[in-house]
Amino acid sequence: MRRVSVDSLRPGMKLAKPVIKDMTTLLGEGTELTDRLIAKIKNLTIADVVIDAPREDGITKETLLRQLDLRFQDRDTEPYMALIKRLVREHIEDIHE
Amino acid sequence: MNELSIDRLRRKVENINNLPTIPEKIKQISEIIGKPNISLNEISAFISNDPALTTKILKMINSAVYGFPGRISLVSHATVLLGLNVVKGLLIGVSVSEFMEEAMSGLWNHSLACALTARILAQRKKIPEPEEVYAAGLLHDIGKVILIQSYRKEYEMIMNRAGDRGTTVVEEEKGYFPVNHGIIGGWLAEKWHFPIRLSEMIKNHHDPMRSRTAPKETALVHLSDIIVRARGIGFPGDYSVPVVNPRAYELLNFSESDIKETLEEMEDVMELTEEPSSL
Repeated sequence: MRRVSVDSLRPGMKLAKPVIKDMTTLLGEGTELTDRLIAKIKNLTIADVVIDAPREDGITKETLLRQLDLRFQDRDTEPYMALIKRLVREHIEDIHE
Repeated sequence: MNELSIDRLRRKVENINNLPTIPEKIKQISEIIGKPNISLNEISAFISNDPALTTKILKMINSAVYGFPGRISLVSHATVLLGLNVVKGLLIGVSVSEFMEEAMSGLWNHSLACALTARILAQRKKIPEPEEVYAAGLLHDIGKVILIQSYRKEYEMIMNRAGDRGTTVVEEEKGYFPVNHGIIGGWLAEKWHFPIRLSEMIKNHHDPMRSRTAPKETALVHLSDIIVRARGIGFPGDYSVPVVNPRAYELLNFSESDIKETLEEMEDVMELTEEPSSL
């Protein structure tokens, strides 16, 4: 799930939470957005909606792990740095299972 | 730049309130935060008198960061529910977010992730004032903003050098400034009369064992900064992770599962949080 401003909505995105205005549900959870619906949402004067998007849209686990290696270059021999790196690596692997 | 004396640099930072680039709102808020005996009512009145600030505060409170989604619509309720320290932290957060993001794109996300991580870790360690640690997380890199505002060309060179050599900006700052951005942020916090422990956490976040009044809290900000950089959330000016201070790490003595669960909890909140431009 990700909260995005109405300006960054694109057709094809799916709502992860309903759009509610004045206690009324206007668009239900799971609705796939079209240009017409996006225009409607913009007219509602709400600032943002929650869309269904994977964490780190489009970035693969391999890329994340390669970036992690780069960030720790020449540093993982220092005390506790290899440990911190391993915990973050395991965390990335867990969420990209 | 090497001849820049500490005194001259400090005078420049202390005169920051006179810089046209510092928004008037931040000056007013820094006065509010710095007042030692301010009451909840005074803070509520200050916020309620400003519609834009009210909107920002209510948006933030009703976001995942505070965990009462969609329930609070009055500032006075919010201040009572959250308490003085939380509201102070919140005020700092909403007031510096845009300003920070303007100086360095990604710095706000880095700071927010650091603040959340520090607050979760503080709660796990049963530190008495987790909200103070949260505020320190939000503000720990405010010194970078000051340096960018006052010495943009030099700071861009620092960032480029750090990128080219695989170092951090704090390492490269040494070649340009007599003190690092932490100390500079601490000067500003003192100038703004922030609580002394908060100033110490900002000042010593790269050298946590120097903190006299809040060593554990400073160690928390230090470690949270490192964890968030390791995970690559936001952009703090460089791409390398600073080395953790081993004594600080041992002082906190977190288990492996503490750190992994904290990462997960923090990221869940970050995912539901808006981009700073829409705050």
